[in-house]
Amino acid sequence: MRVTEGMKYSQVLRNLGNITSQHAEASQEASTGIRVNKPSDDPIAAAQIARLRANSSQTDAHLNTINTVRGDAELTEATLASATDIFARLKELAVQGANGNNTAEDRKTMSVEVAGLKEALIQLGNTRGNRGYLFSGSQVKTPAFDTNGVFQGDDVEQLVPIGNSTPTSVSTSGSQAFVVAGGRNVFADVDALVTALSTNDQTGIQASIDDIGASHAQLVDAQARSGLVISKLDASQSVLDSVDTEQQKAAQAAGAADPYESYTRFTSLGQSLERAIAVSKQILDLGGQNRF
Amino acid sequence: MGSLTSLLYTARDSLTAQSYGLNVTGQNITNVNTPGYVRRDPLLETRALGTATTGSVVATGLRRATDIYIERRELSALGTSSAASEHDSQLAGVEALFNDLSGTGMGSALDNLFSSFSALASNPNDPTTRAAVLGAAGAFADRANSLANALSDSKNELLKQAQETAAQINEKANSISELNRRIVAAEAQGQDAADLKDQRNSVLLDLGKLVDIRTIPDDKGSIIVQASGTSLVDGTDVRPISVDLNADGSLKILSNRGSTSTEITQFLSGGKLAGIKEARDVDIFDVASKLDKLVFDVGNAINTQHAAGFGADGGTGRNLFDVGPTADGAGRAIRLSAAVAGNPAAVAAASDPASVPGGTGNAVALANIWKTPLSDGRTASEGYGDLVGGIGQRKSAVAQAVETQNAIKEQIQAMREAMSGVSLDEEMVSLTKYQRAYEAAGRVLSTVDELMQDLINRVGR
Repeated sequence: MRVTEGMKYSQVLRNLGNITSQHAEASQEASTGIRVNKPSDDPIAAAQIARLRANSSQTDAHLNTINTVRGDAELTEATLASATDIFARLKELAVQGANGNNTAEDRKTMSVEVAGLKEALIQLGNTRGNRGYLFSGSQVKTPAFDTNGVFQGDDVEQLVPIGNSTPTSVSTSGSQAFVVAGGRNVFADVDALVTALSTNDQTGIQASIDDIGASHAQLVDAQARSGLVISKLDASQSVLDSVDTEQQKAAQAAGAADPYESYTRFTSLGQSLERAIAVSKQILDLGGQNRF
Repeated sequence: MGSLTSLLYTARDSLTAQSYGLNVTGQNITNVNTPGYVRRDPLLETRALGTATTGSVVATGLRRATDIYIERRELSALGTSSAASEHDSQLAGVEALFNDLSGTGMGSALDNLFSSFSALASNPNDPTTRAAVLGAAGAFADRANSLANALSDSKNELLKQAQETAAQINEKANSISELNRRIVAAEAQGQDAADLKDQRNSVLLDLGKLVDIRTIPDDKGSIIVQASGTSLVDGTDVRPISVDLNADGSLKILSNRGSTSTEITQFLSGGKLAGIKEARDVDIFDVASKLDKLVFDVGNAINTQHAAGFGADGGTGRNLFDVGPTADGAGRAIRLSAAVAGNPAAVAAASDPASVPGGTGNAVALANIWKTPLSDGRTASEGYGDLVGGIGQRKSAVAQAVETQNAIKEQIQAMREAMSGVSLDEEMVSLTKYQRAYEAAGRVLSTVDELMQDLINRVGR
């Protein structure tokens, strides 16, 4: 085969060009640790990264949701804990009121305290959280109870998507905690105690002890349910946290370069480049100066 | 038997022939780097003078070291490889639009939209959360618009490029027709048209990069050039190419003769023009229609769910997006619907009127669309991943083709170089060869001169 000047030069150019561009790619990969910089670098990995990132972004969204609703869930639990404390005191007062040693005057005084506690209970029922009135169901702009303790909300649960197959309810129903949906109207029970105490009706007071006890139990139940909401959130959060980490790791791994491999490739291409330069120089020098 | 005088003429002929050889060698050395230049060999023959043996030499002309088959293969390889290169560089532009790995694309806009529905469920009564839904929806629509517009701009840009390429093809065709005329005229007068042929060769190599061509020589020195299987130059007759649009917006390539146009689109198989057509009418059309379909499906799925819910103002039946009636063009058309734009209370978080303003049933349903399969059985983010992966696959396949075609082209170019290229080593040998012969002929001349002087001096005494 005839070897012409044109062939020599284009061969030198082509070889140097090829190795230089491979070397540049390898140096980028070795220095960034990223193998997939654009979809065509590895189309399958690129599609995988896109899906993993989308999943990870929804996991983040669920984690954010958990953080947002956690405040209200904790406030609900604390509020119901205060309500059960009030009932513990109401139970004490009822038992004390039933004691035959008390005078009518004593019972009247007690009735004033009980009436005060009822107001405190209504206030607790109307506690406002981040999203509005905690116990009003979906009617978050309306206080759950009017001044007489009449329920003004509804039983609609606050559902949020936090990664479970069905949406999770994160609210506690005000009507189940405080009024008849739960079995007893706690305000009516307190009212009955107030009436019995103020009218010095000992049988009434005696009857109230059981009713107040039942109401207390209803609130304790509600408090337990609100505690369950928090533990559900905790459980979801810890699952989502590890899922999120895995998804991010997977997305990163799909596009990552093997550090040993990429560094080895970079080094060997560097040597090839040096050789190519040396050979090119030799080819171009040959005959160049001494031929004519 | 020759005389001394005839030897004088023989030496003269040799000086002429060797200097012709030197001249041709000089031309070869001069054009060592000239594209399209074909190495020349001087043709020397013994001069016949009747039946007498004179032993003299004559330079009858030169031979261009060329092979029509290698040249044809080179033109065809050039066409295929430049089609692949053009296709590749156009796809690189499309890929850059959808490179979520470097922050372009609409993957994150899509994710943010669904995340905003989750956030809405956590606090539907908060106007900021509602406004954030509108913000994310608007950003998604903007992103879809800008991607679809960029694709449509590329289509227009590529139409212009195709028209410019056609203009370049016609210009080259005119040059070839003019060179054909001059070569035929030169050869008719018995002149050597090697330089003109080299020029024509160089124009053909340029033309071969623009469109797939094939050349057929005739016996008068002229060539017929076929582009995409249709005559482009026939002798001095040029049939220019033009680019138009079909009703569906794809490119239509026409060959024009007088007022008659013939469509040759289906025969186009190489050159920049073919690369442009492939990138524009296959890839960009396909990516744009997939983007449209994805945006249309996502927009409609969200609209259906959104219209079923109730806003903080109790209103219902409102779409979140205006997507247009068909998937075609949805990417450019999608907007935040007028019923909700600037009105956060219209965002439908509640699933029934009684649960306004705290109900979250519809917000949850909206958030769940992200994991619901759309019309083609893929979720929105899977569909988008498929779109991005598809673009990457095309780009990487074409990049592979560029490498293969370049290797083929380089191989054939090496074959042409081996046949037609100038080797300085050879020329150095030729140079020495003719120089020595010239010197020797000079020596013959001076010897004859001495002999004649001898003869004159002795005879004259």
